[in-house]
Amino acid sequence: MDYTLQYGQIWPYVPYIVSGAWLSLQIAFLAFCGGLLIGTVCAAIKTFGGRLTRWLVNAYVVFFMNTPQLVQIFFLYFALPDIGILLSSYMAVLVGMTLNAGAYLTEIQRAGFESRRQSEMEAAEVLGFTRLQQIRYVILPHVAKVLFPPLSNHYILMTLGTSMAAIFGVEELTGRAFNVNAETFRSLEVFSVVAVVYVAATLFASVVLAFFGRVAFRTKMRIV
Amino acid sequence: MAHLDLDNVSAAYGALRVLDGISLTVNRGETVGLIGPSGSGKSTVLRVLTGLLKPQSGVVRVAGDTINFDRPAEIRKLRDRTAIVFQQYNLFQNLTVLDNVMIAPTKVHRRKPAEVRPEAVRLLEKVGLADKLDSYPDQLSGGQQQRVAIARALCLKPEILLLDEVTAALDPELVSEVLDTIRQLADEGMTMLIVSHEMGFIREISARVAFMAEGKVVELGAPADIFDKPEKERTRDFVGKILRH
Repeated sequence: MDYTLQYGQIWPYVPYIVSGAWLSLQIAFLAFCGGLLIGTVCAAIKTFGGRLTRWLVNAYVVFFMNTPQLVQIFFLYFALPDIGILLSSYMAVLVGMTLNAGAYLTEIQRAGFESRRQSEMEAAEVLGFTRLQQIRYVILPHVAKVLFPPLSNHYILMTLGTSMAAIFGVEELTGRAFNVNAETFRSLEVFSVVAVVYVAATLFASVVLAFFGRVAFRTKMRIV
Repeated sequence: MAHLDLDNVSAAYGALRVLDGISLTVNRGETVGLIGPSGSGKSTVLRVLTGLLKPQSGVVRVAGDTINFDRPAEIRKLRDRTAIVFQQYNLFQNLTVLDNVMIAPTKVHRRKPAEVRPEAVRLLEKVGLADKLDSYPDQLSGGQQQRVAIARALCLKPEILLLDEVTAALDPELVSEVLDTIRQLADEGMTMLIVSHEMGFIREISARVAFMAEGKVVELGAPADIFDKPEKERTRDFVGKILRH
């Protein structure tokens, strides 16, 4: 144990590393939003859909929840070109994480759909709401409220999951750390800085989410 | 003229047959009370009339039109003409009182919020909740919630109002307010079918009373006849038990 920490050597690279965090946050945000959209539609299909559409959604969810995310992105990046679909590394990561999130968020939201209040659904039906209006005005506000904590949780996990992009050469936080590490060989210093930035980024996301949750669900929802 | 007509209607929840060939007519502008023991099918009649439960057999007519329950368009037409107030209010918990009343006219019937709003406010004033427009249902008492539910039902301007045990959850002071509202509606010529255990109320408000048991109408007649000199043994039994309390 005679290692001497030399942060001085990597100090010039710190702004470069830290600015990579924006790309991480961006990938996480876009993939989460896309996944949330897919998850909402798929949860609605699983709850109200016909036999065939339910089967298709189940196949999608089972496939993406039971294979490693890394393999999914490998498939998009290395296998799809064989059939003529070329994705940049950034796009492969973004699409892969979105599809993966979609599967998980389908399952999370399905639980929320199932906990819908039957009395409100009946009131909505009698008042003439279409199925979509029932989902929009009765189920989703309920889902957003009860599922806010687990959804936030998944968002944080996805923020950390963006580090996978480094493997495909995307210059997000971890990717830039790889670059600096290769130049300076100060691994301990580089990755301790990266760890601190990840902690800061997820804390930042948690605070924003908590604040959003308070504002959104204390005062509840207005329609007009 | 028959506004609402059930002819030999049967309905079931799964294997449980709840309506067993019931026939019942409500004339235009008439208030009919529906009484009977728990499980006799009173609420189920209202569920059929709002399209929540499809009858297995029999005919349902609204203003002479036979409703085909296999066609969503006809169920929609049925729902345009009838409105129901539930025993448990069934308000939208995530919406304010005003939004609860306005959501169906604005989102389902696509009317302008600016046009619906004064009507909604007037209805809420009518039921004594002018100061609760921006409250949420969980901030109101049961009686207040029930009156919001009545306002919500009325905001769609139904021809026929179905009331399912609307006073069951109210405290006595509020019962009279809700009854005043309902009485006023009766005076305005609303066709109403009222399910209730409040015998005094049913007796006072109804033009005719139907006594139900085992999914059928056992006896139908003027309130005085049903309550004071019922013909059928089954009715006598029920009325006797109820009035002793």
